[in-house]
Amino acid sequence: MTCVQCYQLSEQALVLSIDGLITQEVRQKLFALAQTANNTNDFFDIVPANSSITFYLNDFTRTNYWLEQLITLWEKSEPEAFTPKTHLIDTFYGGEYGPDLNEVSELTGLNQKQVIELHASTEYQVGFLGFLPGFGYLESLPEQLRLPRKATPRAHVPTLSVAIAESLTAIYPSSSPGGWHLIGRCEQPLFDPYADSSSLLAPGDVVRFIPKEHR
Amino acid sequence: MLKVIKPGVFSSIQDLGRHGHRHLGVSQSGVLDPIALKAGNALLGNIETAACIEITVGLAEFEFTQPCNFAITGGNLNAKLNSKALYPGWRYHARTGDIIKFTSHPDSLRAYLCVENGFDVPKVMNSRSTDCQAKFGGFEGNPLQKDDCIPFSKSLAPCSELAVKPSDYTNVVRVLKGPHCDILPEDYLLQLLSQTWTVSDLSNRMGVRLEHSSLLTHQESIDSQGVHPGVIQLPPTGTPIVLLNDCQTTGGYPIIASVIQADLRHFSQLAPTKTCRFELVEFDVANTALQKQEQKITRFKIAKQQLENKK
Repeated sequence: MTCVQCYQLSEQALVLSIDGLITQEVRQKLFALAQTANNTNDFFDIVPANSSITFYLNDFTRTNYWLEQLITLWEKSEPEAFTPKTHLIDTFYGGEYGPDLNEVSELTGLNQKQVIELHASTEYQVGFLGFLPGFGYLESLPEQLRLPRKATPRAHVPTLSVAIAESLTAIYPSSSPGGWHLIGRCEQPLFDPYADSSSLLAPGDVVRFIPKEHR
Repeated sequence: MLKVIKPGVFSSIQDLGRHGHRHLGVSQSGVLDPIALKAGNALLGNIETAACIEITVGLAEFEFTQPCNFAITGGNLNAKLNSKALYPGWRYHARTGDIIKFTSHPDSLRAYLCVENGFDVPKVMNSRSTDCQAKFGGFEGNPLQKDDCIPFSKSLAPCSELAVKPSDYTNVVRVLKGPHCDILPEDYLLQLLSQTWTVSDLSNRMGVRLEHSSLLTHQESIDSQGVHPGVIQLPPTGTPIVLLNDCQTTGGYPIIASVIQADLRHFSQLAPTKTCRFELVEFDVANTALQKQEQKITRFKIAKQQLENKK
């Protein structure tokens, strides 16, 4: 059973938060709600997260209206109303592109081919973005691939590295320090602030990794 | 152009910030004191969103390579134009070759240098602010460096000297109750409000970390949710963090309180070792405070217009 509440976090920020088990259905309902709210002109930003959405209001005289309205919209929200965009991401696994593939294989007891097949056979959904511009937290990694973060983070994770940690996988849009296991690399730019559509991934999008032969 | 002779401790191009991209993981950036920027821009007849240079600590030096009407606002970093002392809240005229120098001041941390029509760097994602973490916006995506030449339009006629009374800074900051007080030990909000906090030297434009001899330690975490400047996170180590403009877009530490928007600017001047206190208010107080601030700028703009019409 889930329980929903809507509260004001600061002058402009309203939060709708779900308490309880976040099922796939709840998740789709949340994305559908974010989409509906986005179609009004009352918010300058809408930030979905795991079990909440933060709505940034243009006009704080609309606070009380939206505190009630968001609950109503949540109740009416249909999971089917949200149709995610799917991205197919060509990925080079292992070798110089995925320096941790060997270690992941050892830690999971799977051979490298199995790790790749498992990682590439799953559809992941962008739960939310954060950490770096365009960095999507992709859910959910198959159980057999779940590992804790590396004990010592790398000082320098190369741009476009495909990484896994705990129940998540992700692609680093730019180079940064990072503690995830690097299993591959893709070529498609993830974030370009100068492009019209700056981030390839948006909350709710679906990602599939397509293994490619090394050149 | 404005030529950077010495960038000082940390100087960057900022405007009122990059809004609406938080869902893509893009920080707000922008000046830590929006009122100081609005005042500077009002003095020069600029649009509110014109970009300035935010100077941290001081020890910075710039050369005007063309005539320029400029204003300095924010904290007093003992600025001089050649040998002439400059004061925050005033606009001045610089001739070609004039040097503006910021030293430092024990009670101030950040100053704002505004020029007529603003600094002319490209807008990236609808803002000229430097995103220093992601390295885009501002001047080539970086804090200012020696020999950078920042373009702006030449002022055709020297301005008269004119001032707007700067709003005072304080270290008593008003906050709203946070949503996670009920999962934290019962008296933590009260402790946050009753203690005098010291700004840690780990503070920067991402956030101000606060220290006290008795720490508000705990073992709670929350599901990551959207965060923004003003949110006060309480990590398990017990040192509250007041998030500032360069903060990340989501966070998993409990939110104990939020600084009201009108008061967040005070953190622009709170250097490490300075202290601050918090005062709990309701939303209506926060809204009124923000409206009052805006009205003050609007009143100044009207008065300035009337003065100029008389001439």
